[in-house]
Amino acid sequence: MRQALIAFAAALALAAPALAQPRGQLVVGASIFTDSISPAAGGYNTLSLVSQTWEPLVARDSEDNLVPALAERWEALGPTHWRFHLRRNVRWHDGTPFTAEDAKFTLEYVTNPRTVYVRKGRIAGIAAVEIIDSHTLDVRTVAPAPLLLRGLADIAIEQKAVTERLGPVEAARRPIGTGPWRYGELVPGDRYDLTANTDYWGGAPKVERLRIRIIPESSTRVASLLAGETQLIEEVPVDLIPSVRSRRTLAVESIESSVSLVLTMDTRTPPFNDVRVRQAMDFAINKPQILAQMLDGQGSVLDGQLVTRATFGHNPALRPRPFDPARARALLAEAGYPQGFPTTINTQSGRYLSDVDIANAAAGMMRAVGVAASVSVREGGVWARMERSREQGPIYQVGWFSVGDADFSTVWYTQPSGRAYWVNEEYDRLYVAARSTVVESERRAAYHRMMEIMHEEVPSIFLVGLPRVYGRSARLQGWRPARDSLLRLHTAELR
Amino acid sequence: MAYVLRRLALAPVSLLLVVLFVFVVLRVSGDPVAIYLGIDATPEQEALLREQLGLDDPLPVQFLHFLADLLRGDFGNSLQFRAPAMAVVGQRLGATLELIAYALSLAVAGGILGGLACAMWNDRLPDLLLTGIAVAGQSMPSFWLGILLIQLFALDLGWLPTSGRGEWEQAVLPTITLATFILPNFVLVTRTAVLETMREQFVTTARARGVGGARALFRHVLPNALNPVISLLGMQIGRLMGGAVVTETVFAWPGVGRLMVSAIFQRDLPVVIAAVFIVAVTIILASLLVDLVQAAIDPRIRMR
Repeated sequence: MRQALIAFAAALALAAPALAQPRGQLVVGASIFTDSISPAAGGYNTLSLVSQTWEPLVARDSEDNLVPALAERWEALGPTHWRFHLRRNVRWHDGTPFTAEDAKFTLEYVTNPRTVYVRKGRIAGIAAVEIIDSHTLDVRTVAPAPLLLRGLADIAIEQKAVTERLGPVEAARRPIGTGPWRYGELVPGDRYDLTANTDYWGGAPKVERLRIRIIPESSTRVASLLAGETQLIEEVPVDLIPSVRSRRTLAVESIESSVSLVLTMDTRTPPFNDVRVRQAMDFAINKPQILAQMLDGQGSVLDGQLVTRATFGHNPALRPRPFDPARARALLAEAGYPQGFPTTINTQSGRYLSDVDIANAAAGMMRAVGVAASVSVREGGVWARMERSREQGPIYQVGWFSVGDADFSTVWYTQPSGRAYWVNEEYDRLYVAARSTVVESERRAAYHRMMEIMHEEVPSIFLVGLPRVYGRSARLQGWRPARDSLLRLHTAELR
Repeated sequence: MAYVLRRLALAPVSLLLVVLFVFVVLRVSGDPVAIYLGIDATPEQEALLREQLGLDDPLPVQFLHFLADLLRGDFGNSLQFRAPAMAVVGQRLGATLELIAYALSLAVAGGILGGLACAMWNDRLPDLLLTGIAVAGQSMPSFWLGILLIQLFALDLGWLPTSGRGEWEQAVLPTITLATFILPNFVLVTRTAVLETMREQFVTTARARGVGGARALFRHVLPNALNPVISLLGMQIGRLMGGAVVTETVFAWPGVGRLMVSAIFQRDLPVVIAAVFIVAVTIILASLLVDLVQAAIDPRIRMR
């Protein structure tokens, strides 16, 4: 017995250093990825790929909180003056040390008016970037910029020497970053292979190789998880959640995203120019039922406001309007529509989880109070055109995302955004006020009032905070779903 | 031969019409810049990108520019990939051609054998069974069949992977799915052609001379019954390209069909045109090849 124990201890001692080495391969089944891995283009799904190799100065964590990345700390020296203390001893994947030069170069290149960069608006208002020393950077903004830090989280810092030598397009083809994973190979339409960056400042990944496969068809994606080909898959469709949950070797993980799904009404013309009609619509929709039936109870019913509970600016005093068809009918009659009216809900298909199902359910609930609503599914390109011309029909379904701060989604209801039907001067004023001060309490107060105005005015029916639903193998540990849908895998391990 | 040449001469006209059609439909129905930049786009960014891509000219001018580049063999740069459109398509073409080649081989071999069996046991159990299966196969949506095959072979039996490309095992299920899409046609056409040929006088003569059943079938009937099968082959290549889109999606096969669909959604015109062009050329070449093969094996066609 004692000998066995000694042998066991010896084996442990031998095994210990081996455990520290990254091992094995993690295969992720992604629902969409654009074939480009350039930080300049694409939506959040692209950013998820970009963030494997590249990092921002300030990052978001899975809960949408800001955390240090390439900047280990920062301070506001004045309302328009930020100082970033950059992490020392960070090396690019080619071995070159990371310095303030790289950060300055990236920020200046992104904000250059001649650069087309999808998320450049996030850091709009940067007036100057100065290098104080090799690892200290000052950023000055035109006006107080409370959103600068959040915005920076979407800007991947590129290596000056490489991007200058190859040009941004070429440099993005084989990224040389500072992130936890090194570029291996990108096979367009098929997979993205990466290897562990054992020198990563945040600690080497626990898995040696990472493969992100694109599996567009959701039932195939689920099948790949069931078959053990993937250990983690994105976007489990609601009707397949039970088949994943019922297996002991698999688990369903979900988190409420910061995407709020809403039905926006055209307030410029009858019948929705009458606030009573809009309130009636709100009373007519049974939101908890939509959540339970169309989303398997994942995510949440919005609190009668645009932003989700976890978002900065959420007003805890507001509650969703209850489901009350009788009141809906009464309000419709009061507004002069006792017989209801015909209307259309426009939606895209497959853009958001269960989007068409939810639109159909809402239309059914509207019909129950006498409003003859039908659903019209629009293709993405046609949709973008309707959006630009502000002709999206009497009602359209859209998901506004906030990535943690009300500013990002409240903007779409302001006049300067060029996207809103609804006009409210106080709201517009508050929106500007909230983004012009760095005092958090003032910002919060402004958003609370904005949520109140929207709750009364009902420019949109606030339905649900959409969940992100993942399926994972029980072997996969040390990973959790993120509100912003980025894959953060460097602490993941396979048991 | 004159017929072949006439068809070749007409090919550019049909290609031009296809290009015009695709250009107009995609440009009128959506704005690539709006889609590319998404909701966050500022008017300045949109204008800048439009300028960089040459999208600020009037539509007819854009089309002429586009056509002029096309004549020089330049399909333009893909908006999504920031790389020459033809190179982007070329990268994905191999996967699709591979899949189509496998599926076609399986469909032709299986179809001819099945058709022969049907003809030999005409109106008896094997014929009824195979014809029944063929009709069922023809009416089965590829999408549904694909999911079913994954369920059976990848999940229940665990013999094959669900999806992807790289190992040969990964090609099996997509090949079966795509082949099933066209195989029934080959069974039914071979069956009819063989039955018809069997009634020809030269077959009766051969049998009268004492040629055995199998020898008569393979030596005299089959070669003469092949012509309709080969015509069918030419026609099916176009259908296969269509079927490939669905099969590639179900099995996450990185082919040109999926690329084309995503390029349409992104209004990535250069890629759509390059892909359509390649597909059209493939189909034209394939039908040309079919004509030549038919002429080679059937003297009556050469005479025309």
